[in-house]
Amino acid sequence: MPAANPAPHYVIIGNSIAGIEAAIAIRNRDRDARITVISGEHPHPYARVSLMYIFCGQLSLKDTQFYPEDLYDRMRFERIFERVTGVDVAGRRLALEGGRTVEYDKLLLAVGSVGRRLPWPGAYEADPAFLHHFVTLGDLRRLDAAAKPGMSVAVIGGGLIGVEAAEVLHLRGLKTHFLIREPFYFPVALDAAEANVVAEHIRHHGVDARTNAPVNGFRREGAKVVLEGPDLTVDLVVGAIGVEPATAFLRGSGVALNDQTGGVEVGDNLESTSAPGIFAAGDCAQVTWIDGSRRPEQLWYTARDQGRTAALAMLGDDVKYRRGTWYNSAKFFDVEYTTAGFIPYAAPKAGRAPAPTRAEDGWQTWYQRVPGSAVTQRIVVKDGSVKGFNALGTRWDHNVWMRWIHERRPLAWVLAHMNDARFDEEFIAPFAVLPSATLVNGA
Amino acid sequence: MQAGLLSTYQHPVRNRNGLAWALSALLMAFYLLLYFGKENYDAKDALTRYAHDPLNLLIVKLGWPTGDNGSLWVFNKWYLYAALYTLGMAIGGYFMLKKHGNSRYHRLRTYSLVSVQAILGFMLPIALDFAHRPAWYFSYFFPLKYDLFFPYNLDHMQATVAAWFIFGSFVGIPTLVYFKGKRAYCSWICGCGGLAETFGDPWRHLSSKSDRSWRIEQFSVYTVMFLAFAMLGMVLADGLSAPDSPIHGWANHYKEWYSLAIGAVFSGVLGTGLYPLMGTRVWCRFGCPMAAMLGLIQKFGRFRITAKKDMCISCGNCSTYCEMGIDVRAYAMAGKDIKRSSCVGCGMCAHVCPRGVLKLETSKDVGPHGEIQVWTLDL
Ligand SMILES: Cc1cc2nc3c(=O)[nH]c(=O)nc-3n(C[C@H](O)[C@H](O)[C@H](O)COP(=O)(O)OP(=O)(O)OC[C@H]3O[C@@H](n4cnc5c(N)ncnc54)[C@H](O)[C@@H]3O)c2cc1C
Ligand code: SF4
Ligand code: SF4
Ligand code: SF4
Repeated sequence: MPAANPAPHYVIIGNSIAGIEAAIAIRNRDRDARITVISGEHPHPYARVSLMYIFCGQLSLKDTQFYPEDLYDRMRFERIFERVTGVDVAGRRLALEGGRTVEYDKLLLAVGSVGRRLPWPGAYEADPAFLHHFVTLGDLRRLDAAAKPGMSVAVIGGGLIGVEAAEVLHLRGLKTHFLIREPFYFPVALDAAEANVVAEHIRHHGVDARTNAPVNGFRREGAKVVLEGPDLTVDLVVGAIGVEPATAFLRGSGVALNDQTGGVEVGDNLESTSAPGIFAAGDCAQVTWIDGSRRPEQLWYTARDQGRTAALAMLGDDVKYRRGTWYNSAKFFDVEYTTAGFIPYAAPKAGRAPAPTRAEDGWQTWYQRVPGSAVTQRIVVKDGSVKGFNALGTRWDHNVWMRWIHERRPLAWVLAHMNDARFDEEFIAPFAVLPSATLVNGA
Repeated sequence: MQAGLLSTYQHPVRNRNGLAWALSALLMAFYLLLYFGKENYDAKDALTRYAHDPLNLLIVKLGWPTGDNGSLWVFNKWYLYAALYTLGMAIGGYFMLKKHGNSRYHRLRTYSLVSVQAILGFMLPIALDFAHRPAWYFSYFFPLKYDLFFPYNLDHMQATVAAWFIFGSFVGIPTLVYFKGKRAYCSWICGCGGLAETFGDPWRHLSSKSDRSWRIEQFSVYTVMFLAFAMLGMVLADGLSAPDSPIHGWANHYKEWYSLAIGAVFSGVLGTGLYPLMGTRVWCRFGCPMAAMLGLIQKFGRFRITAKKDMCISCGNCSTYCEMGIDVRAYAMAGKDIKRSSCVGCGMCAHVCPRGVLKLETSKDVGPHGEIQVWTLDL
C-alpha cells in the first residue's frame, strides 16, 4: 500500500438528516475527499418526520426529500443502498448485507432509531401481522398495506409519534384507540391542565383516547387481538412507546454502547469513546444534555447540528457538540405546541430524578387558558425571572423566548412583551393576560 | 395536519392522471372557443348562421335572456364568461375554505377575492352596460390588462376612469405592493389570481419546484413584461405620430400578435388549461407582466416571509403547497427569510407548516424575529 493516501475515505452510515448534513459539511471543506453514504432504507434522504403525511396522502415520498435529487452527483457522494451488518473496528471495514465489505478511514454512525419493541414476551416471533411501528419507511409500508377503513386499531404510547399515528389512522377511517399508560397525555412536556386540553381535542375528533390505560399483554382471538388491561379487542396494534438507537448491529464490535439506551458512547467531539476514528451523530449518539444527563437526543434539528459537528471533528477540527437551551414544537391533531427553556416533568420517568421545583426554592407557575379554546400558555418562573414556556394553540418564536430566559427577564416584563414573540398568521387576536390567569407557587 | 389536504395524492383529479389530462383538455377547448369563437351573438342569427358554434348553442339552450332588439349585450359571450368565472370562483372558494378556512388570513382574502370578482368583475360592468355607459373592469390594471390604453379603449374612456386606471397601474398598486407585498394585488384583488386561489386550489401542489423551472420562470416572465411595456411604448408612439406614419401598421401588428399569443393563448388557454397538470399559477408564474413588475417592487419593498430559526423539520409541506413553485423549505432549513419576487403571498406555506416556522411580515422595523434580508439577486 502507498504510504500516503491523499484522499481519505469518509464513510457515513445513514443518509437521513444527521448523515447527509455531515456528508455535505465534509464536502464543503474537502473537495477531494472520497465520501460514501450508505443507507438501507431509501436511496435518497427524506424527512422521517413526514411519515404521517405520506400515510394520509398529504405529501408524496418525493415531496419529503429535502435535497434535490441530483445531490449525490453534485456533491460526488458514492451511494450504497444496502444495510450494514457489522463493523470490524480493528480492520476499519464494514460488512454489508449482500456480503461485500467497505473500507473506511473515518466512519460516521448516523443510523438513527427504530421503534422500541413492546415488552410482550413472544409478540415479535414469527412476524405477527397485527403488530406495527411508525418509525421507518418499512414500518410505513407495512402499516399502509394493513390499515383498512373500518378496522380497529390500538395505538400504544402517549408520545409524539403515537399521537401522529393515531391521527392518520383515524383519518383513514379506522376505529382508533389511543392508550396512554400515564395519568395524562405526554407528561414529559405537558402538565395535567394542558394535557386535558389536548385530550379533549383528540376525543372531539372521535379518537378514543384513554389515560391510565397500561397494556399488560395480549392474546389472540382468531384474527383479532385482545389487549390485556384495557380488555380491548382490535385488528391492529401500533407500538409507539418511544424509539431506541438502531445500534444492534454494533453489539460486540468494540464500539461502546450505553447499557440502558443502546446509544453510541461519544465524547464531546462526538467521537466514540472506545473506537477512535468512529463518530456518531443524531438519534443514535449518547450525548450530554444541558442538564448534564447523558442520553440520545431524538430530534430532527439537533441531529442536523450533531451531523455538522461530527463532520468537523472527522476533518480534524477541535470541536465540541453543545446542546443549548431546550426548545421544541409539535402538533397534536390541529393544536400546535411550542416550548422553550425548562419545563418540569410532570410525571417522573424511570432513571430521571423529579425536577427540584418546589415553592420553597422559589419556583412559580403562571398559566392561562383562553376559555372554550385549545389555546393555553404556561410560564415557569424561578426567583422572579422566567425559566420556561409552554404554549398550545398559537404560534411563538422560541428564539425570542430563549433570549428572555437568558436575559433573566422578570415575569411581569415578559407578560407585557409577549406579543413580540408571537408568530401567528396575521389577523389573529393578540396575546392578552386574562382575568382567569393564575400564578401559583411551585412548578 | 390540515384535514382538507388529506388524500391529495389519492384524489382522482389531483394527481396528473388520465382524468386530470381530460379536464385540462376540456378547459383548453373552452378557452379556445371563447377566444377564437365569434365575438358577439345575435339572437336571430343564433340558430341559423352560427348554429355550428357550440358556445352559441349553449347560450341559446341555457335560455340566456335576449335584449329587445335581439342583438344586445346579453349575447356578449364575455358576460357569459364572467358569469361562469364568478360562479367557478364562488364554488371553488367554498371548497377552498372548507379546507383552509380555519385560518383567518385565508378567510379574509378569499372573501375579498370573490367579492372583487363578483362586484367589479361581473355586476358593475353589466350594470354599466345596462345603463348604456361604457363598461370597465375596475380591478384590472396595466400591464395585466394590456389593452387598457389601446385607442379603442382610450377613445371612449372618461377622464375620471382614465385617471383611476393610470393612477392604479403606475402609483396605487405599486405603492400598495411596496408596503404590503405583491399579495395585496395577487392574492386579494386580481381576478386571475382569484381563480387560481379558489377554483384552482386543488392543484396548487403540482407546481414544479425544480431549479430549472425557476430559471425558465425568470426568463419568460421578464420577457413578457418587456413585451408588454414595449407595446405600451408603441401605442403611445403611434398616437403621437402622423396618421400616415409606418408606426401605425407596426403597432397594429404588434398589438394583434400580443393579444393572440400572450393575451389569449398564454394567459387563457394555457394559463387556466394547465391547472390540473402544472398547478394553478402557470400564467402568474411564467407569464404575467404585472407579476414581474410587482415582483420587482416587492423585492425592494417591506414584505418578506420570516423563517423561525432552527425549528424547521424539513417535512416539505410548505414547498409542496406553494403554488408559485418556490422551494420554501430550502430557505426555512437555512433559517433564511424569504424575499422572492414571484411570491404572491398566498400564505399557504405558513398555514400548512406543522411547526409554525413561517410568518408573512410587512413591519418596517426588523422586529424581534431577526434580520430582514433586504435584497438578494435571486429574483
Ligand atoms: C413519526 C416520527 C415523527 C417525528 N417527528 C419529529 C418532529 O416533529 N420533530 C423532531 O425534532 N423530530 C421528530 N422525529 C424524530 C426525528 O425524525 C429523528 O430525530 C431524526 O430522524 C434523526 O435523524 P438521524 O439522521 O439521526 O437518523 P434517522 O432519521 O433515524 O435515519 C437513520 C438512517 O440510518 C440508516 N441506517 C440505520 N441502520 C442502518 C444499517 N444497519 N445499515 C445501513 N443504513 C442504516 C437508515 O437507513 C437511515 O437512513 C420524528 C420521528 C418519527 C419516527
Ligand atoms: S400574477 Fe398577474 S394574473 Fe396572477 S394574480 Fe398577480 S397580477 Fe393577477
Ligand atoms: S412562498 Fe408561501 S406565500 Fe409565497 S407564494 Fe409560495 S406558498 Fe404562497
Ligand atoms: S418550514 Fe414548516 S412546512 Fe416547511 S419544511 Fe419546515 S417544518 Fe415543514
